[in-house]
Amino acid sequence: MLLLPKFDYEEPKSLPEALAVLSELKGNAKVIAGGTDLIVNMKKGTLKPACLVSLKKVEGLRQIVREGGGLTIGSHVTVAEIAESATVAWVAPVLARSASGLGSPLIRNRATIGGNIVTARPAADLPPALMVLGAEAMLKGNGKGRSVPLDSFFTGPGSSVIETGEVLTSISIPSAPPFTGAHYVKLGHRAALEIAIVAVASRLTLYKPDGVIVDARIVLSAVAPTAIHAVSAEKALTGQRPSEELFAKAASLAVTDCSPITDIRGGAGYRRDMVNALVRRTLTKAYHDASGEKEGGA
Amino acid sequence: MKKLITLTVNERVYEVAVAPGRTLTQLLRDDLNLLGTKEGCGVGDCGACTVILDGKPVNSCLVLAVQADGSTIKTIEGVAIGDSLHPVQETFVEMGAIQCGFCTPGMILSATSLLEKTPHPTEQEVRQALSGNLCRCTGYQKIVEAVQEASRRMKK
Amino acid sequence: MKSYKVINTRLPRVDAREKATGDARYAADLSMPNMLYGAMLQSPLAHAKILNIDVMAAKKLPGVKDVVTWKEAGLVKYGVSPARYDEQIFCSDKVRYVGDEVAAVTAIDLETAMEAVSLIKVDYEELPALLDIESAMAEGAIAIHEDFPGNVSAEVHQEFGNFEEALKECEIIRTDTFTNKRQDGGFLEPQACLARYDLNGNLTLWSSTQSVHYVQRSIAMVLGIPVGKVRVIKPYVGGGFGPKAAVNAMEIAACLMSRRTGKPVKMVFSREQVFLHGRARHQFTHELTTGVKKDGTIFALRNVCHLDGGAYSSFGIATIYYAGSLLGAPYKLPNMKYDGYRIYTNKPTCGAQRGHGGVAARAGWEQQLDIIAAELGMDPVEFRLKNMMRTGDVTCNDFNMSSLGMKECLEGVRDGSNWVAKKGKLPKGKGIGVACGFFVSGAGYPIYRSETFHSTATIRLTEDGGAVNLYTASAEIGQGSDTILGQIAAEALGVSLDDVRVHSGDTDFGIDLGAYSSRQTLMSGHAVKMAAEDTKRQVLEALSEQLNVSVADMDISAGVIVFKKDKPDFSRLRTLYIKEHRGWEDLPTGADLTFKEAARVAFITRGVIIGNGAYKPGELGGKYKGAAVGTSPAYGCSAQIVEVTVDMETGKVTIDAMTDAHDCGFAINRTNVEGQMQGSLSMGLGEALFEEVRFDGKGRVANASLGEYRIPTALDMPNVRTIIIESDEPNGPFGAKEVGEGAIMPTIPAILNAVHDAVGVRINELPITSERLYAAMKEKQKK
Repeated sequence: MLLLPKFDYEEPKSLPEALAVLSELKGNAKVIAGGTDLIVNMKKGTLKPACLVSLKKVEGLRQIVREGGGLTIGSHVTVAEIAESATVAWVAPVLARSASGLGSPLIRNRATIGGNIVTARPAADLPPALMVLGAEAMLKGNGKGRSVPLDSFFTGPGSSVIETGEVLTSISIPSAPPFTGAHYVKLGHRAALEIAIVAVASRLTLYKPDGVIVDARIVLSAVAPTAIHAVSAEKALTGQRPSEELFAKAASLAVTDCSPITDIRGGAGYRRDMVNALVRRTLTKAYHDASGEKEGGA
Repeated sequence: MKKLITLTVNERVYEVAVAPGRTLTQLLRDDLNLLGTKEGCGVGDCGACTVILDGKPVNSCLVLAVQADGSTIKTIEGVAIGDSLHPVQETFVEMGAIQCGFCTPGMILSATSLLEKTPHPTEQEVRQALSGNLCRCTGYQKIVEAVQEASRRMKK
Repeated sequence: MKSYKVINTRLPRVDAREKATGDARYAADLSMPNMLYGAMLQSPLAHAKILNIDVMAAKKLPGVKDVVTWKEAGLVKYGVSPARYDEQIFCSDKVRYVGDEVAAVTAIDLETAMEAVSLIKVDYEELPALLDIESAMAEGAIAIHEDFPGNVSAEVHQEFGNFEEALKECEIIRTDTFTNKRQDGGFLEPQACLARYDLNGNLTLWSSTQSVHYVQRSIAMVLGIPVGKVRVIKPYVGGGFGPKAAVNAMEIAACLMSRRTGKPVKMVFSREQVFLHGRARHQFTHELTTGVKKDGTIFALRNVCHLDGGAYSSFGIATIYYAGSLLGAPYKLPNMKYDGYRIYTNKPTCGAQRGHGGVAARAGWEQQLDIIAAELGMDPVEFRLKNMMRTGDVTCNDFNMSSLGMKECLEGVRDGSNWVAKKGKLPKGKGIGVACGFFVSGAGYPIYRSETFHSTATIRLTEDGGAVNLYTASAEIGQGSDTILGQIAAEALGVSLDDVRVHSGDTDFGIDLGAYSSRQTLMSGHAVKMAAEDTKRQVLEALSEQLNVSVADMDISAGVIVFKKDKPDFSRLRTLYIKEHRGWEDLPTGADLTFKEAARVAFITRGVIIGNGAYKPGELGGKYKGAAVGTSPAYGCSAQIVEVTVDMETGKVTIDAMTDAHDCGFAINRTNVEGQMQGSLSMGLGEALFEEVRFDGKGRVANASLGEYRIPTALDMPNVRTIIIESDEPNGPFGAKEVGEGAIMPTIPAILNAVHDAVGVRINELPITSERLYAAMKEKQKK
C-alpha cells in the first residue's frame, strides 16, 4: 500500500471562501480536483502540500457552455466529459480528440481540464489543442479576475503564471473562423496510458477553400519546457498557398523552434525528427478539413 | 484531523471517520472490509483498484476518501444481482476470461460500466473501455470475447 | 483418440466464480487479530560497505514492536541452488544493489513501521558500482562477491559434436549478435505475506508464492526451524511468471519478526519494491554463429552468451544453462557449442521468467535463421520444415523428443494465417513473420540435489461418498492448475469435476516443487492421476468383496459403477445406503450403482479411503556437465506467425494479427490451453516492443512503475488465433505436457521477422521501440 503523507483538507462552500482559504495558506495549499497528478506526486514524495483544498462544493465550475460560437468550459469539467461532449466535438473537435487520448478511461473520468492546465507538465495532453484554439484561462483571486491566453500561461515545467490565492475557474475558446481545420497527433509507445514522446496540434485557417493560409498555429509539446508555438513554422505558412512542399518546409522549420531533451521516453534527436513528421501530418489533415469546411469548427 | 464522511457503497450507507490522507482504496479495504478492490500500483497505472464512483469507473487509489463524501460507489462486491452473477461475471467465468483473477474485479467493473453506456459495443470500443485495466495473464482476448458475449446475452 | 468425460473439455475454472465476485483472498487481503505490519529498509546505494547500523531511534518510536538486522537474523546464506547460496536476509558487510535489504521493522500500523524505517541510520562507505557487464568483467574490477573475483557468477562450456569441424561443411556461415533487455515479471499482484509463529513454536506463512515447498525449506534452513514446524500456505496468487518461485527476504523477515514478537506480521511489497526485488528475466547478449549447408540443412551452431545477472545468483545458475540448451531443438542440429557467462553486477538480481533462459536465445536465432533462409532463397516456413525434428528424435544435447508436433504446429500456422498468400505480397510497411520454439515440461531435477518425489497427491473420499477431496501442494497461480488437476482426478476416478474439491498450495498437503518450468500439468498431474487410480482401486476392491465380482470386470465412469459383464444384484448395498440416509431427498434410485453408494460401502468396510500418488521423472538426459538443466520428461513446442504494420514516418510497430499453434500433448482443458497461449503471446509482444527495466547512473531503477515499464494494454494486443496441436505425449498424464512457457518462445522472433518483411530492417537489440526502428530505417536509407 502506497501511503500519502499527512495533510489537511478543506472543502469551502463558495468561491470567495475558497479564495480566502488559499490566500491564508499562502502557497502551502493546493487545489485538488481529479488528483491524477497531485495524488501520484504526493505518494512519490515530490509534492508535499500542507493542505488540499477541494472545490467540490463551489458552483459554476462544471459546465460546458456554448457562447457566441465559441465555448466556455468550467475548470472542473472532466477530460472524459470533454472527450464525449457533442458540443465540444462540434465546436472544437481537436480538443475532443486530445482529450480522448489522455491516459486511460479511468484517468479521464477524474482528470479535469483545469488540472491538466495548472499542473503545467511539458507533455500535458490538452494545452496544444487549447493553444491552437486560442483559448484563454479565467483566473479569479487576490481581489481580481483576469483572463490569460494559454499561449502566455506556462512558464516552465510545472509552473505557470497562476498566483498563490488564484483559482482557474474556466477556459474560454473563441469561435473559429470559416475554413478552419485542426488536427492533433500524440506519439506514445503503447496505445493507452501514455505520456507523449512528442505531440503536435496544428490549425490552419484558409481565406477560402482553395485559398491561401490566413492563420497558422502549430503547437508542440514534450519538446520544450512548456508547450510552445512553432513560431518560425507558423510564419512560413501565413499568407502562403498550401502545398506538400510548403508543409514540408514548415515542418523542418518547426524542428528549429523546439528544444527536446533525451529522457526516459525518447531521445532528443528522435523527437526532432518526430516534430518534423507530425507537423507535416497534422498540417496535411488540418488543411484537408479546412478546405472541406463551410462553417467554422476546429 | 479526521473528517466524518457519509457514502453509499453497494447500496449500503456508511458513516466513517477518515484522515484526509486516506485513499478510497484504503477506506474500502481497511475500513469497510471490502477486499475485492485491489491495489496493484497505487498510482493509477494498472486499474486493479477500479470502482464505480458516481456512475463512472475510476482508479480508487487516486481518490481521497474525503472526496467521496456524499458519493455512491459500486465495488465488485456489488455487481452480482441478488444471488445471481451479472451476465458479465457469468461470461467471464464460462469463457476463460479469468486466470489469476487480480485484474478481474477492476476489469468487470469497467466492462459493466461500458455496457450500461454502450449496450452493443464494437470490439474496438470494448478494448478502449478496458485500456486502463492491465492484465498480464490473459492477453485480453477472452476478456474481450466475454464482454461481447455478455452484451449479446443482455440484449435478450 | 480416446474420448473422455471430463478432460479435453472447456469446463470453467473451479475458482473463477470466487475471483469474479471479489471473494478470492490474496495475501494482502489476509489479516489476523493483533497483527503487526512490517516494513523494510533497503539500500539506497548500488555498492557500499556497511560501517554501522543504528536502530536506536527506530526502536524508540512509539508503536514499534521490533527492529531486526543481520544481528538478529543471523548470517545463514541461502539462494535458489545450493551451489550458489549467496544471499542473506539482511546485508552485514556490504550492500550490493539499490534495494538490497538491510533491516526490517514491525509496528502497530504501516505508517509507524515506515516512519521507523526512515529513522534507522546506516553509515555506508561507497564502493565503485559496476552497472554493466563490461565494467564488471574489466581487469581490476572490484569483486561484488569475495568468492567470485572477476564477477563471473557462473560459467558454462559445452560442446556437442564438433562445431569447428562441422563449419567446414557449411557453405553459409553467419554470425549475429542479439541482445534483449532486463525484464520485470509485471504480475498485477505485488508480493505479500503474513507470518504467524504460534505459542507452540509452529510457524505458518501465507505468501504470494509459486512454490510453497521451496519457501518452506528456505525458511526452515535460514531460521533454524525444523522443516516440519514450518507450514507455508499459498492463498490466491495474482500471477508469478518466475520471480515468485523462490523465497524472498520479506518472507523470511516477516517470519523472524513474528517469532520474536509472538504476533502475526504482515508485509506487502509496493510496486517499486517489486522492481527492486526483480528476480525476473536477465539481459542476455548472444553471439550466434550458425553454419548451414547449401541444401539448407542446419548443421552447426556456436552460441556465446553473456548474462547480466545482477547482484546475486537466484535462479541464474539454471538460467545460464537454459540459455544454451534451449537451442538444441526443434531443428535437427548435430553440432552445438555453447559458452555462457553469467556476470554479477550491482543491480537487482535476475532470475527465472516465463521461458527461462530460452527467450532471448530463440529470438536471436530464429531471426538469424530467417536471414539464412533468405540467402538460400528458401521460404522461411519451408526452411524450418526441412530441418524439423520428429517425434522420437533426440537432440545433440540428449533431449528426447518423446512427442513433438512441431511440423503440425508450423503447418497449422502457415495455413491458419494464410502465409502463402501473404508472404512477399504485402505492401511496403506491412509484413509477416514466422518462428518456432520449444520448452521443457518440468525440469528433470529439483533445484536442490535430492531423491525427492517432485509431486505427491492425496485423495480422501468423504465418508458419505459425496465428495472427492484432492490434496496437492502444487501452486495455482492463475495458470489453472487447480482446475486441470481436479479434472485429471475426476477423469481417472470416474466422477465429475463438480464432485472434486481441490485443496492446494499448502506444505501440509504433501510435496510439490511448485509452479515453475511448466511442470505441474505433467508432474503434479501424474501424481494426481496415480492417487485417483489408487482410490478407484480401493473402492472397486471393497465392492468386489461385497458383490463377488472381480475388480477387472468393473470400472467407474460418469459417477456410476460400470459392470463389464452381467450387472450383479446390488440391492443390499443400496438398502444399506438408504437406511443410513433416512431423511435425505436425493436418494439413489436409478438402475446403476452410483459412485456415492460405492464410496460409502468402501468406507464402511475399510475405513477412510485415501489414495496416494507420487511422481518423479526417471533418469533423464546425458552424462555431460549441466545435463540436468534442460532435461525433462517431455517438451512442448510452438510455431507462430505474426503480421505487423510499421508507420514508416515514426517507426511505430503495430501488431495486426497473431496466429499461434502449440503442441501441448493433450489439452486437459482447452480453454486453459488457449489462455496460456494468449497470455504468453502478450508477454512476448510486450518484451518485443515495450519492456525494458532501465537504470540511472547510480544503479537506481529509473522506471519502477507500470506507467514507465510498459506491459501491453487491451489496445496493444491484437486478436490471437490459437491452434491446439495434440501429439499425445507418452510421458504425460493422458498424453499432456506443457503450454505455459513454450508458447512465448516464437513471439519475439516472429515479430522481428515480420518487421523485416515490412521494412527490410533487422533489429538486433530489444525492445523494438519506434525510436530504435526509426533509426534503423534511416540508417538503411542512407546506404
